[in-house]
Amino acid sequence: MSRFVAMRLLQVAAVLAIMSFVIYALIGLMPGDPIDLMISSNPHLTPADAVRLKALYGLDRPLIERYFAWAKAALTGDFGYSRLYVKPAFEVLLPRLGNTALLMGASIICAYALALPLGILAARKPGSAIDSAVNMLCFAGISVPPFWLALMLILIFAAGLGVLPAGGIATIGDGSIPDRLQHLVLPVATLTLASMGGHLRYIRASMIETLRQDFIRTARAKGAGETRVLTRHALRNALIPVVTVLALSFGSLFSGALITETMFAYPGMGKLIYDAIQGNDFNLALAGLLLATLTVLLANLAADIAYAVIDPRISYR
Amino acid sequence: MVAKVYVLGAVRRPLTSYDTDWKPVCLMCVELPSIENGLAEKVDLGNGKTGMKLTYTIRPEARWGDGVPVTTEDVVFSYEVGKNPKSGVIDSDLYRRILKIDVKDDKTFTITSDRVTFDYAIHNDFEILPAHLERAAFADPATYRFHTLYDTDPTNPGLYNGPYRIAELSPGSHVVLVRNPYWGGKQPYFSRIVIWAVENTAALQANLLAGGLDMIAGELGLSLDQALGFEVQHGKDFRLTYKPGLSFEHIDLNLDNPILADKSVRQALMFGIDRKAISDQIYSGRDPVADSLLPTLDPGYSSDVPRYNYDPAKASALLDGAGWKISSDGIRRKDGTPLTLELATTSGNRTREMIEQVLQAQWRQIGISVKLKNQPARVLLGGTVNRRNFTMAMFAWVSAPENVPRGELYSDQVPSAENGWSGENFDDYRSPEADRLIDAIETELDRDKRQQLWQQLQALYAEDLPSLPLYFRAEAFVLPHWLEGLDPTGHSAPSTLWVENWRRAGVQAAK
Amino acid sequence: MRRWRDAWRDRRVAWSGSLLLVLACAAFIVPILAPLAGQEWGGVDLYRRLASPSLIHPLGTDEIGRDLMLRLLQGGRVSLMVGIVAALAAAGFGTAIGLFAGFRGGRTDAVLMRATDGMIALPLLPLLIVLAAIDLKKIGVPTSLVDSEAISLYRIIVLVAFVGWTTVGRIVRGATLSLRSRDFVRAAEAMGASSARIMLVHILPNLASPIIVATTLAVGEIILLESVLSFLGVGVQPPIASWGNMLTGAQETIAFAPQLALYPGLLIFVTVIACNFLGDGLQDALDPRAERRL
Repeated sequence: MSRFVAMRLLQVAAVLAIMSFVIYALIGLMPGDPIDLMISSNPHLTPADAVRLKALYGLDRPLIERYFAWAKAALTGDFGYSRLYVKPAFEVLLPRLGNTALLMGASIICAYALALPLGILAARKPGSAIDSAVNMLCFAGISVPPFWLALMLILIFAAGLGVLPAGGIATIGDGSIPDRLQHLVLPVATLTLASMGGHLRYIRASMIETLRQDFIRTARAKGAGETRVLTRHALRNALIPVVTVLALSFGSLFSGALITETMFAYPGMGKLIYDAIQGNDFNLALAGLLLATLTVLLANLAADIAYAVIDPRISYR
Repeated sequence: MVAKVYVLGAVRRPLTSYDTDWKPVCLMCVELPSIENGLAEKVDLGNGKTGMKLTYTIRPEARWGDGVPVTTEDVVFSYEVGKNPKSGVIDSDLYRRILKIDVKDDKTFTITSDRVTFDYAIHNDFEILPAHLERAAFADPATYRFHTLYDTDPTNPGLYNGPYRIAELSPGSHVVLVRNPYWGGKQPYFSRIVIWAVENTAALQANLLAGGLDMIAGELGLSLDQALGFEVQHGKDFRLTYKPGLSFEHIDLNLDNPILADKSVRQALMFGIDRKAISDQIYSGRDPVADSLLPTLDPGYSSDVPRYNYDPAKASALLDGAGWKISSDGIRRKDGTPLTLELATTSGNRTREMIEQVLQAQWRQIGISVKLKNQPARVLLGGTVNRRNFTMAMFAWVSAPENVPRGELYSDQVPSAENGWSGENFDDYRSPEADRLIDAIETELDRDKRQQLWQQLQALYAEDLPSLPLYFRAEAFVLPHWLEGLDPTGHSAPSTLWVENWRRAGVQAAK
Repeated sequence: MRRWRDAWRDRRVAWSGSLLLVLACAAFIVPILAPLAGQEWGGVDLYRRLASPSLIHPLGTDEIGRDLMLRLLQGGRVSLMVGIVAALAAAGFGTAIGLFAGFRGGRTDAVLMRATDGMIALPLLPLLIVLAAIDLKKIGVPTSLVDSEAISLYRIIVLVAFVGWTTVGRIVRGATLSLRSRDFVRAAEAMGASSARIMLVHILPNLASPIIVATTLAVGEIILLESVLSFLGVGVQPPIASWGNMLTGAQETIAFAPQLALYPGLLIFVTVIACNFLGDGLQDALDPRAERRL
């Protein structure tokens, strides 16, 4: 087990190293540089100023040289300064990471809290009215544009009924827990509804598959109650493939979080990365993308380990 | 950037500024130097050049937030930082123009400037830094921009000399301002002001309605059409103030383009668009149509300029006269070349994208085909335009009152590879007459004579049309009915420079 | 052929197929016919901004007075075209990778599938935003192309095809893997046919059904992705309308013009759900035993 984890951690490091170079190079391909922006926003700048500022920010050296300089600094924990926030990039990122983790975590919990019972309910009688309704819900979930879903929720609950805030993380001047929770409702609902369809589909399919197996029939024949059959015997087995899907879904969940955060002005990582890219804040965008990748990869790893825990048949060497 | 300027306005005072009537005033100094009061004099610099000696006295009561008086030592230190090429100061021209600073005593100093200009007394961007705190950070000038206390210890009271100081700073979220006990000027009414950064305008409006916010600053709050929408719904609960400002929305034309090189085509482009309808229908008339490059409030403004009211017939006649004849597909052609132009603006700016499509439709009516090619602001303004890679580009200039458009119109200000792409004459406008007027305005100290020159320059601009003037953008302030004393400036100086005047209605300002 | 008729009997296939067909016809034909109704009808008119629905403008007008229905159909044409073209490109790419991985098996398969899993697991949206922002001139795309008005369209097609192939890739790989051990493939191998020949002549034709199914599903997925990118301002750029970019800014006007936010999103939703139903129905009819998509 520990050897497996070590191997996977090594993989994570390798992927990160590759990604860092790819992203670094891509960001270098973005048009315009911060100095050009300064020049265009300041009429008094002279050519000498431009050259001086370029050298000051190290923008006059070739890409590969800059990458290695960056990587060397990054390994010591120095990810450079954010241009927009005038702070070390990581100092800007860390509080945002917590907000995003809260949003993603809450929505995973909500998605499963809804998808598990619905999936089991549907799987009990495939083809029934309940199953059709659940199926419809799956399709709706995977087909709805998440930003539009957010817009509609804002339209109904914030602009229309006025019962929930349209965005932000807390009412200004009020930082109480109920207030913060209230601000979480719409973002979490958006992300939950948008990501639930996929999970629900697998839970349902996996449950149907499991309920057909011999050991379920055996359990039923032995007179185990329906609830016990469903939860003790079937669910545990049905969850195994579901966990694989969960592991692979963190990436798209992060993408969903980016949209949700942008829509609700929620100060999370996704929105920060988006703003950094739009604002030519190279250091911040780079550090943000890498931190997001790392988080997603670690979440994958955690799901893989969970896989080993719930499935006794699998042992890792 | 604007947000930073806005906050700093309440906590740090520059030497001088323009007030809400667009007149130069002293903020940190006692009296503006002028030839009449003897505080300004021309000096011979040798080598045939003339400069100026300007004497300023720092307000006697001015103190930093830790009680240390603001002195000439601070002024000299700020000058050292500003002129040091390694310090990362962007606008080094301001400091280059200052040849030296002579200290007379703790409060009085003399600036020797390398030239004579009409706005000699104005040093709005000269920020005074607290030498007693910042000198240590400046020990190594190359790392000053990382070590400056404004970034590493922004709540240090000693950094601020305004009526307020920063008590709490949470970047991207909010700033808490509290009274600076050592402020010697008029006592501000509010003991505490919290400035929130809410990027999402829907959330901004919701918070205002929920009472979490009291007001929305016009400098960086709602766009005009959002404010107009807000006024329709909640107009009676708030006071909406629209201040037409210095943001000059216009379309830069690349005069190297053979089609645009022809003045009659440029004039036809103007006659072919209904700016009045755009202003009235989209902006409820709040954004006034621009006739030339200065807004009505500007001291140099003149109404005596050629005007371009919507007149498609006249536009067509001009184009016909220039040899552009309408062909079967409704597009004009000359010698087989279609009259096709490209228009770029900052993508993601919904208002501009909207206006652009209106203009495109109107030009199509007179036989001009315009392709839209938008780019994000950072690309358009951070590369395309200053490398002169455009045909027509719509954006805004924001400047100070009576700003001489040297960078924008002077013939030696055309960006090129040779000059490192500096200068803002993106159009490649080269007019000896404009050059002459700009030189003359800059050095003309007589108010009336200068006004005549301004009139000539505005008329020349409107006649030549190196760029197409559209309108002056208004800033929309959403204020509660109970707030008094907040006067929008409409120019680049934030209204927070007079934050000590803000008060509750009916309350006389505390002395 | 019979299988196709069977498929059409499936209610899901019939309904979503007809819906998509009608939508596509309307989107491709109406904008072409629109000029017949005169410049006035569909064009910009500042004096009828945000008009309410009427006989002449069934859904009302947008912020600069254009007919909203016409605008939606124009947007539909772009969104559908991006969806279909990019899905075909993605299908080609995915088929090549899936076929190769499934046929070669072993280490090749393991590496390719790891890469596919990796693609799925990465947070792709921020990466796409970076990709959409890069300066095409710096990677040697001809200036004339970069400067064309439709460049945002080409760019988005390439981008979404680049990330959209994974679904097809996995499905094709699964199907190839099972075909690989079938007798007719073994026989061809025994007769000394080259690998390329076996893949193209013996295996590929048998993959038609799963590829069609996967491509149908990919169309929906890609329309969704396009709308997200266009909404974020890095996809299709105005004045070209797409359902995604029509929604940009709708948030700001939602309080007094909710119809601008409602219709484009509704059309995306309906189109994508129809693609999903169609794909699902086709799968049951054409390829009932195939591996379920991820």
